[in-house]
Amino acid sequence: MSISVSRITKRFGQFTALDAVDLEIPRGRLVALLGPSGSGKTTLLRIIAGLEFADAGSVQFDGEDISDRTARERRVGFVFQHYALFRHMTVFENIAFGLRVRPRGTRPSAQRIRERVTELLELIQLRNQAGRFPSQLSGGQRQRVALARALAVEPSVLLLDEPFGALDAKVRVELRRWLRQLHDDVGVTSVFVTHDQDEALEVADRVAVMNRGKIEQIGTPDEVYNHPATSFVYNFLGNVNLFHGRIDNGTAHIDREATGHVVFVRPHALEITRHPNGANQFRATTKHINAAGPLVKVEAITEWGAAVHVEMPQERFRALALHKGEEVFITPRDLAVFAKE
Amino acid sequence: MVKALPARALPGVTEPAPVRGLLIGTCVVFLTVFLLAPLALIFAVALGQGVAAYLRSFTNPDTISAIRLTLIAAAIAVPANVVFGIAAAWAIGKFEFVGKSLLISLLDLPFSISPVVVGLTYVLLFGAQGALGPWLTAHDVHIIFAIPGIVLATIFVTVPFVARELLPLMAAQGNDEEEAALTLGANGWQTFLRVTLPNVKWALLYGVILCNARAMGEFGAVAVVSGHIRGLTDTMPLQIEVLYNDYQFVPAFAVASLLALLALATLVVKSVVEWKVAKVSEVTP
Repeated sequence: MSISVSRITKRFGQFTALDAVDLEIPRGRLVALLGPSGSGKTTLLRIIAGLEFADAGSVQFDGEDISDRTARERRVGFVFQHYALFRHMTVFENIAFGLRVRPRGTRPSAQRIRERVTELLELIQLRNQAGRFPSQLSGGQRQRVALARALAVEPSVLLLDEPFGALDAKVRVELRRWLRQLHDDVGVTSVFVTHDQDEALEVADRVAVMNRGKIEQIGTPDEVYNHPATSFVYNFLGNVNLFHGRIDNGTAHIDREATGHVVFVRPHALEITRHPNGANQFRATTKHINAAGPLVKVEAITEWGAAVHVEMPQERFRALALHKGEEVFITPRDLAVFAKE
Repeated sequence: MVKALPARALPGVTEPAPVRGLLIGTCVVFLTVFLLAPLALIFAVALGQGVAAYLRSFTNPDTISAIRLTLIAAAIAVPANVVFGIAAAWAIGKFEFVGKSLLISLLDLPFSISPVVVGLTYVLLFGAQGALGPWLTAHDVHIIFAIPGIVLATIFVTVPFVARELLPLMAAQGNDEEEAALTLGANGWQTFLRVTLPNVKWALLYGVILCNARAMGEFGAVAVVSGHIRGLTDTMPLQIEVLYNDYQFVPAFAVASLLALLALATLVVKSVVEWKVAKVSEVTP
């Protein structure tokens, strides 16, 4: 089912959580709402779910306006950040809940419910834990149960609020790959909220970057990462070096003092050389080197006293034979210039 | 950091043995003199002239009527406060609204106000000379010196018990599970019966027990509104006083022993419930 959000505005007292937000989510997509806390992403998700109601604007499922419908009538699957499993029910009963509360006419038979729950237990690989209580499961297992519970009612859309936020780093990476796989198998239109750029870029088909109640940019992970539309998106997605700059006759210049523009350069787009090679360079002194990991991270101080972060592959680092406290030359290979806000 | 502490510091953390002994001894003596001894005395006096005399105490028609009245008052006051307590705890624990802190303060009012004052306000409100007295008399409604007054007074003094037990638990549990139930298609009633209520059942049971013990034992407020009509408006605590003033010690203490047993039963259930709640919260992160 496609989701269409138009001109949604939501205020909490003086605070504007969402400011006339528009968002189109085509059928079958997996979309990430990415932003810092307070950017309105969770509020938007809850409005789509019907757990919160907008002050203005509308939400449509498949072109049908459902703004006035309750969460119960919208048939969405919602996965909560802290799982919200029913603590007094077993895993089996948690997953069966959505089927058991159906009105008598549409409620599946006990036999059918058992089959469906068993099917889902297989899907989340927790068949042997059916009789356990949520408190006896690990965080990753609980989140999978929460997902199975949401899927049990065959929702028209699946909404996930920071689904991996409360998990360990390792479980998180496993589970997000599993979610991607699950989405490819089940194909239900899904939206998930996250503040973790890696998560959004790795899992989603499309990423909507949110800031202060507005969507700054929506696009494929490649688009938002490599062609950020605003300085916020550039800054938020990945590490970045920020310089003051100006534009003269179509050429960007990096300046020492604040001017009309800001120049962003990703750490991997800065190249370190030992000797000057021409014009587009500045001088810097290496201050700290971290050679653990696939990329070597170098922190250097520019000739005008600002800190810059440079990343390079191990081979390049070894070829340079770089040490702490050496004078080097830095060349920006790729940069983005935005007018100062 | 803990490891860095020198072992010498340990004795400073706990008190020397004589001090500990003194503290524990003081508590034991205090509890024995002021709680255990009187409790034992109740049963000693009640059974002082044998089991037959003890049992005979409960054949007095006034006593039977007092027990019945107490049961009636509790049977009305406790369910009323269960409904009110769940509603109040739900509203306060799960929603934000104007006047919330005022409602919390009001909940505690019965704890801080003397029960006699409660009784008097009811007399001033519903009594023959009271504000609503003439209207009530005209419509032949009897509240003061009748069962409705006793029930009202009992409800008033027991208002906080259920709500106070549920409130912290409901506030801590938040709305997530209810919202989950809602998105799964449950209606309000199903959500309440299948999710909200099971999550607070032990706290609710404990609240009900405390509420019941207080409802049956209330003296002050009920004494004012009851009018002490023997065999009609005397509850158990009032009947105990009546019997005692008549120098009928065995029957007085026999009735008192029922209330004492109720208190003991309350303690037992309380311990079981607290153990259950601790067990649940232990495994719940």
